[in-house]
Amino acid sequence: MGDQNTIIDESDVRHILKRTGFGPAAKDMKRAKKLIGATRGAAADYLLEQKRKVLKAKGKELIDIHRKWVKHLTKGKTPFLDKTVLFFHDHFSVSASVLEGYPESITFHLQLHYTHALGNFKDYCKAINTDLAMMIFLDTDSNQKAIPNENYARELCELFTIGVTDLNGVDNYLQEDIVQIARAFTGWRVKESENLAFLKTSQHDTMAEFPSRGPKVLFDSAHGFPPGGASFTTGGEGENEIDEVIDILFDHLDSDGMNTVARRTAYRLIEFFCYANPDKTIVDDVIADSGFDTNWSIEQLIRSILVHDAFFETKAAAPHTALTKKSVKWPIDYIVGTMRMLRMKPVGKELEIPGGDFDPITEHEINMGQLIGEPPSVFGWDWEEGWISSSTLLARYTFARDLVNARTKARFKPLKFVDKDLTDPGQIVDAITTALNISDQLTAAERTELIEYLTDNGVSPTLNLDDETTVNVKIHGAFGLAMQSAAFQVH
Amino acid sequence: MAFTRRQFLKRAGVAAASSMIAPSIFGSPFVRNAFADTIGDRYLVVLYLDGGNDGLNTIVPIDDPAGYRTAYEMFRGAGGGGIRIEPGELSVPSVVSAQDPGTTTELGFHPGLAPLSAMYDAGNVAVIQGCGYPDYNLSHATSQMIWETANPTGNPAITGSGWAGRHLALEYGPQDIYGVTIDNSIAGELRTSGTSVLAINRLSRFGFPFDDFDTDESIYAEAFQDLANQAAASPQPLMSLLGNAGASTYDATQAYPPLDDLYETARSGFDIAYSALGTSTAKDLREVAKCIFGVATGQPNVNARFYQVRNGGYDTHADQGGATGRHFNLHDEVASAVDLFFQDMNDMGIGNKVTMVVYSEFSRRIPQNDNGTDHGSQGPMFVIGEAVNGGMYGNHPDILDLDGSENTKYTQDNGNAARSTDFRDVFGTILKNWVNMPEPQILSSVLPLDTGAPDDFWTVQDFDLGFL
Repeated sequence: MGDQNTIIDESDVRHILKRTGFGPAAKDMKRAKKLIGATRGAAADYLLEQKRKVLKAKGKELIDIHRKWVKHLTKGKTPFLDKTVLFFHDHFSVSASVLEGYPESITFHLQLHYTHALGNFKDYCKAINTDLAMMIFLDTDSNQKAIPNENYARELCELFTIGVTDLNGVDNYLQEDIVQIARAFTGWRVKESENLAFLKTSQHDTMAEFPSRGPKVLFDSAHGFPPGGASFTTGGEGENEIDEVIDILFDHLDSDGMNTVARRTAYRLIEFFCYANPDKTIVDDVIADSGFDTNWSIEQLIRSILVHDAFFETKAAAPHTALTKKSVKWPIDYIVGTMRMLRMKPVGKELEIPGGDFDPITEHEINMGQLIGEPPSVFGWDWEEGWISSSTLLARYTFARDLVNARTKARFKPLKFVDKDLTDPGQIVDAITTALNISDQLTAAERTELIEYLTDNGVSPTLNLDDETTVNVKIHGAFGLAMQSAAFQVH
Repeated sequence: MAFTRRQFLKRAGVAAASSMIAPSIFGSPFVRNAFADTIGDRYLVVLYLDGGNDGLNTIVPIDDPAGYRTAYEMFRGAGGGGIRIEPGELSVPSVVSAQDPGTTTELGFHPGLAPLSAMYDAGNVAVIQGCGYPDYNLSHATSQMIWETANPTGNPAITGSGWAGRHLALEYGPQDIYGVTIDNSIAGELRTSGTSVLAINRLSRFGFPFDDFDTDESIYAEAFQDLANQAAASPQPLMSLLGNAGASTYDATQAYPPLDDLYETARSGFDIAYSALGTSTAKDLREVAKCIFGVATGQPNVNARFYQVRNGGYDTHADQGGATGRHFNLHDEVASAVDLFFQDMNDMGIGNKVTMVVYSEFSRRIPQNDNGTDHGSQGPMFVIGEAVNGGMYGNHPDILDLDGSENTKYTQDNGNAARSTDFRDVFGTILKNWVNMPEPQILSSVLPLDTGAPDDFWTVQDFDLGFL
């Protein structure tokens, strides 16, 4: 059992940078060199102290904003913040194309994520309530008092805060709670010309006008709330209701009497930084360690995850057992991380990936199933096995092929990673897998397959890397195979 | 002749997976029907309307012996923001009738479904009214998962796999390919870890990406396959999934892309007709048609019999429209594409070999909100094809008695009608009478009955609804 005082080695540091950033590139490892021999806590603090800057991605079209965002990711200036933003981009999902005529809203939306992703989660949820893009995406701006529109209210409960059920599978709310929350959001409107959210009181549902709907209360005699429920009009009826709804949701207790929002948020962050379906005890460990159920500090919660044993489980070296934990890399991680490892960059205005057809990066994102900024629905993306299909795997294989195929513009230079003097195929394979951060992730049999490829099944037992054709075919090819291997698709 | 290592690994993979599926060979319903695939020379296409299709504005009551039209007009307004469809606007209103005891309610198709109502007239469309499941769930994600897994009550024996996937896993080996999703990701109903399912967005882009500098692709291909098969043999579930998916994907990249040229050349008229429609549903169904044409003409290693296609955009909380507008566009896109697809199948001479089932994760609220509808409970399903006994099945949902005893979770009246048919009877009827699975095997391993107390659970199956 480790904790924040556990000493970490080089492979731990590599793992930490891999899961909290993109790559890592060799220069990222060099920069974090002082962490080797330091503690898990020191490494977590190193990340927390990493530079933070709110990304201001403006553009006339959504695609311009998208490109600025992706380009920023490839530069790796604020990787920990970037990666956490990606989590919350999936959590508070908005499909940007809905806002096509109003790209500023996506600029603000992205700024909101960069502002709050490592901040206070309760404030974050309150800010999301009146985020212009979200209001349009989930119909808050057309929610009228006559028949309240339940779209945002439902997703606020189901996806953003408490979830449909708790960790024991017990329901967290009733339909009547959704109806009540929908009432709180009636009349909220967007003034696009001023980029402003405001309450149009004439469209706001009041108890006086709709007495049959009852008092504005939630969770009658359930989830830690008293008989009669919790009122979200303690400050009167009006603008304050939506903040009060968040306050109530954040007091919701699950069937174990634990804070529901804290547990669900921690659970999902553990799934993001570690692996799917974590044990409940891990969830409670990191909440207790961070105080997240009272301070709502996202950075402290993540710090507690980063020093927990669970965080290091997916690092286990091959061969794996049935119980080894693994997590499939997100496509954006596969794209940006691989380019950083190989010191390659997208080129041109359209951010083309070098090699192959020089397709724009967006093509690769779409084919792999993750065009960032454009989650398929409010549920975000389907993680883990959901990333894997013949179609998305082919997209990953194509991306790998394109990179090794880049021999002219922005070309791939494998001899930066493989010493030209090496002749032993085993050592060459090790150099390649080290560059790709998977040297301990291949089984002996998989390593042998790569050696057999390099030697044509033993026909040429040593290699001469002064020979250009050998490099062009075999070294490029072995990089391609390694990037297409199962081991390289996962953390 | 000795096995090559690759063949050996493939075989080892089959054996391992089979032993996981079949704990006991004798008397187990999980035993694979070795080599005798039940679907034979037939095909099943699932079309999923993603987002919750408004059933009450899809099949609309016209006259009123049961009072449904009066109720409909109460719930669905006319004029600005109203989504009511007038009888004169409905498509081919005279042909359909519901089977409520003692009443006959005339029903019409949404005007956007005109091509489908013509197919109905020809006897090739079955409408199964009021399909749902116990304790309906108003969450998109949850309800979609319930339909895909056919597991509303969280039965642990069948969690994590799709209903069609469970059938495939019984029939086929880990790297066999009998299911294809036309999308980037595998459809929920086809999910299984027991056999391989392809996700193909477009056949033309499904070739294996070799580096053109390397003139001898076979050495690279062998290494790729060997690596994939090594991972497939891993006890770690994700590694094994990635390995099997990689190996079967490679095989498919050899077999499937040629179907694109084959179809374009042999069926250029239809190819152009799909392009003329231009919608994503038309283009997706064209990919299905290409695959089916490949199977039907005996192309090597092309065997897929189960297909899934999805069309999105049905979450019409606002701006739904009535006889025109957003809902019309959705219906028009799907009906036109389905009509063309079946013309294509008929022209191939296999119109009676292809059945399509259409569903959505839920229908929408019976009363409209200001200009759209919120999430609801039951809705109509469609089963389409020449082999189908066309007509109206199941009772019209009782929209005169909203919020009855159907749902035990939601205590407040919220404007939903009870289901009149459990959707698992529809899937069961297809599995039994189209896929030819024995009824006991469907019940034991694909669609187990609900267990537990609540009255409205699905505890008695009816896999002979009559439409197949």
